[in-house]
Amino acid sequence: MLTKRIIVSILALATLVVGSITLIQAAADDVVTVYSSRKEHLIQPLFEQFTKDTGIEVNYLTGKGGDLIERMKLEGNNTPADMFMTVDAGDLWYAGTQDVFRSVLTDTLLNNIPSHLRDPEGLWMGLSVRARTIVYSTERVDPFELSTYADLADDKWQGRLCLRTSKKIYTKSLVASIVHNEGEEGAEAIVSGWVNNLAATPNAKDSHVMNAILAGQCDVGLVNTYYFGRLIEETPGAPLSLFWANQETSGVHVNVSGAGVTKHASNAEGAIQLLEWLSSAKAQAIYGSLNKEYPANQSVASDEVVSAWGAFKQDDMNLAIAGILQADAVALMQRIGYK
Amino acid sequence: MDRFCFKTNIWIVLLALTVATPIFVVASAWLLPGGELWTHFAQTLLTDLVISTVILLFGVGLGVSVLGAILAYLVVMVEFPGRRWLEWALFLPFAIPAYVLAFVYLGVFDYSGYAQVWMREALGLSGFDIRSGHWAIILTFILVFYPYVYMMARASFKRQKIHMIEAGKMLGASPIRVFWKISVPLARPAIAAGLLVTLMETLADFGVVSLFNYSTFTTAIYSAWGDFRSIEVAAQLASLLVLVAFFLIYFERRARGKAKYYSTDVSHIRPYTANGWVGWLLFAFVFSVFMLSFAMPILQIIIWSVDIFAKEWSGKYVSFFTSTAILTLSAAALTVTVATVLALPSRCKSKSRVLQTLIRFSTLGYALPGSVMAVGLMYGVQNISLISEYFGGSSLNHFLFGSIALLLFAYVSRFMAIAYNSTNASSEQIKPVFEQSARLLGASRFRLIWQVYLPMMTPGIMAGALLVAVDVMKELPATYLLRPFGWDTLAIRVYELSAEGLFERAAVPALMMVVFGAVLMFAFNRLDSSQL
Repeated sequence: MLTKRIIVSILALATLVVGSITLIQAAADDVVTVYSSRKEHLIQPLFEQFTKDTGIEVNYLTGKGGDLIERMKLEGNNTPADMFMTVDAGDLWYAGTQDVFRSVLTDTLLNNIPSHLRDPEGLWMGLSVRARTIVYSTERVDPFELSTYADLADDKWQGRLCLRTSKKIYTKSLVASIVHNEGEEGAEAIVSGWVNNLAATPNAKDSHVMNAILAGQCDVGLVNTYYFGRLIEETPGAPLSLFWANQETSGVHVNVSGAGVTKHASNAEGAIQLLEWLSSAKAQAIYGSLNKEYPANQSVASDEVVSAWGAFKQDDMNLAIAGILQADAVALMQRIGYK
Repeated sequence: MDRFCFKTNIWIVLLALTVATPIFVVASAWLLPGGELWTHFAQTLLTDLVISTVILLFGVGLGVSVLGAILAYLVVMVEFPGRRWLEWALFLPFAIPAYVLAFVYLGVFDYSGYAQVWMREALGLSGFDIRSGHWAIILTFILVFYPYVYMMARASFKRQKIHMIEAGKMLGASPIRVFWKISVPLARPAIAAGLLVTLMETLADFGVVSLFNYSTFTTAIYSAWGDFRSIEVAAQLASLLVLVAFFLIYFERRARGKAKYYSTDVSHIRPYTANGWVGWLLFAFVFSVFMLSFAMPILQIIIWSVDIFAKEWSGKYVSFFTSTAILTLSAAALTVTVATVLALPSRCKSKSRVLQTLIRFSTLGYALPGSVMAVGLMYGVQNISLISEYFGGSSLNHFLFGSIALLLFAYVSRFMAIAYNSTNASSEQIKPVFEQSARLLGASRFRLIWQVYLPMMTPGIMAGALLVAVDVMKELPATYLLRPFGWDTLAIRVYELSAEGLFERAAVPALMMVVFGAVLMFAFNRLDSSQL
């Protein structure tokens, strides 16, 4: 009998919860609603500061980039989202092709964000720059041996290379940029060379790549610099160092995390204000200190830890191209068998 | 079919069809063109994927069946040192999400993990890449999923007639022979049911598979969607998983044959006692499974949490926990209610094979990867909206997306298999004679259900509710896509931190999940103590 009563009360509770769906948050006028694939702990401090500065509240929902784009498409002109924020140029480009964004080309944005880091039509803006470059063991590699991404395909790295999985967006964008710079055949040769040189099954995470180098499983790898920044912060003096790739040629491959104002934004004004604020010096500095990324706004100095790695030449390929070529890059990696 | 049966059955049909909505939406993708992408996959990934998926299913299936059945047999039939607490402790790995366990294993056993570092430095052996090949990921899945088989086999062994075992003993059969010739054949349906759940969950897994960078069918699904932006091909591939699951269920039913066990007596007598070194050997074996699958990973999670706790903890965790608890409990209640209705014994149902197949079909959402199921559901809502707009109404999308109602619907569809498995197992033990006597006595069907069936099905209902609750607590992809604003769960926090490589910080919410899961198990165990 006791169990029966418990079952009944659990059922009652469930009904109550299901009933409470009608209590959908009423969106006040001065709230900006953001869908974001940039993780909660990396955006919340920014939004908090924005609210402090402007009095405008930000309501956000995190999720996977592709999922959120699909959701906005289906929500159509009723979408609650005023802004979509994501961590990869490919996703930004794709959202642009799906008619999710509106064009926003204010003077502030044009001044703050360099042209290769934004959509040519102003559908989206890159807000922080993520450089993907070579990381090496200072114990087993002479930096004079290092030069380009392509060089890692050379036989001298046989059994000494660790890479992150081809399923990760950062790898896809890098290979897309190589397809752009070297052509399809050139890229195919480079990627097969990498796969031949692998010391281990490609890793799931950049941090695993660095751990493998530290443990001696391999000597060189490719990582986004902010992962290196975190590792060095936790274990100062670890025998690892960054090397800026392709300095004599196309420059280091960069990706962006960025955002755009949605086509059907109900608070477009607030969203534009937020976008402009995110490109401002104050917000750009927070990006750097929170996650060791590079500011997109060139007038803002990098975080102290980050500047210690020195200046470097960026690949100035427009990032929309990385989006366009991404499917080709993936098809290429799947043909070669880069897992 | 008489009129009465038509009326009862039609409600069950509607309920089953509703539960199966996402499956229909996903399967309807075959109406759309897939084209070139299929050719590309056929030329590149597909052969490899099919082979590795088959190897994985075979290895994991064999492993969980053998390990789960042996452990269950030992704790039920044999008295050995430590048996009392180990019998309970072996359930605990349920509370750890598979991806967290995989994460810890890689942290310890991969080339840079301490186990290998120690092996190289202290023993002078050479290191190796545990992510290449199949065995490491198979072992991981076995340690994650053996509790399903253990749980079901244990319940079945407890109901085996003690005199059959005694007869075997008197005829001079060794304990091992009794195990093989009497206990295992009798428990076969239970082992098969546990195996089925395991295989479906392995098929749909994405977390463990990505950490090991192992390629299964889900790899192609996510590639179609994420890389080639073809939601159609992703759905087509996913519906193949449903097909595989359907065959698995079919074979399980075949393997079970006509065997139905009407015994509800639980025996507390243990036929064997292992003394001396044999007892300690058994203890060492069972204890090492507990160590590997629970104690060691938890210890690692605790070590990670301790240093970072002060930095990571904040008031937000109260909200993460409340969301998790509300979703978990209401999803469990709802799912198990539907599963109970579907499983209630009725002569009308037992006469209709079509209805039985339909009910089975409605449980197949378990084999769909969570995001595919969630997007399928969104498209289902979209179709309703299109109809509503056609008749001059408005779209329901923005109202339903991100509502608790849709999220709970997703949970019910996704976890129906485990809830139904449990409720149906206890319903099958109810003899048809009850329905006959009730009719002779003139009792209404309502009274029959309320006063006879539900009390008899309580163990199954409770077990189903517990399994669903723990699975919902760990669920990530559907929750991530469909939750309302501000409803972040512990699983989402674990994912967001670990996706950024912040594993130490992720250990804090992971630990809270394990504690919550253990509390759930304890609570359900108490509620159901009369049956254990």
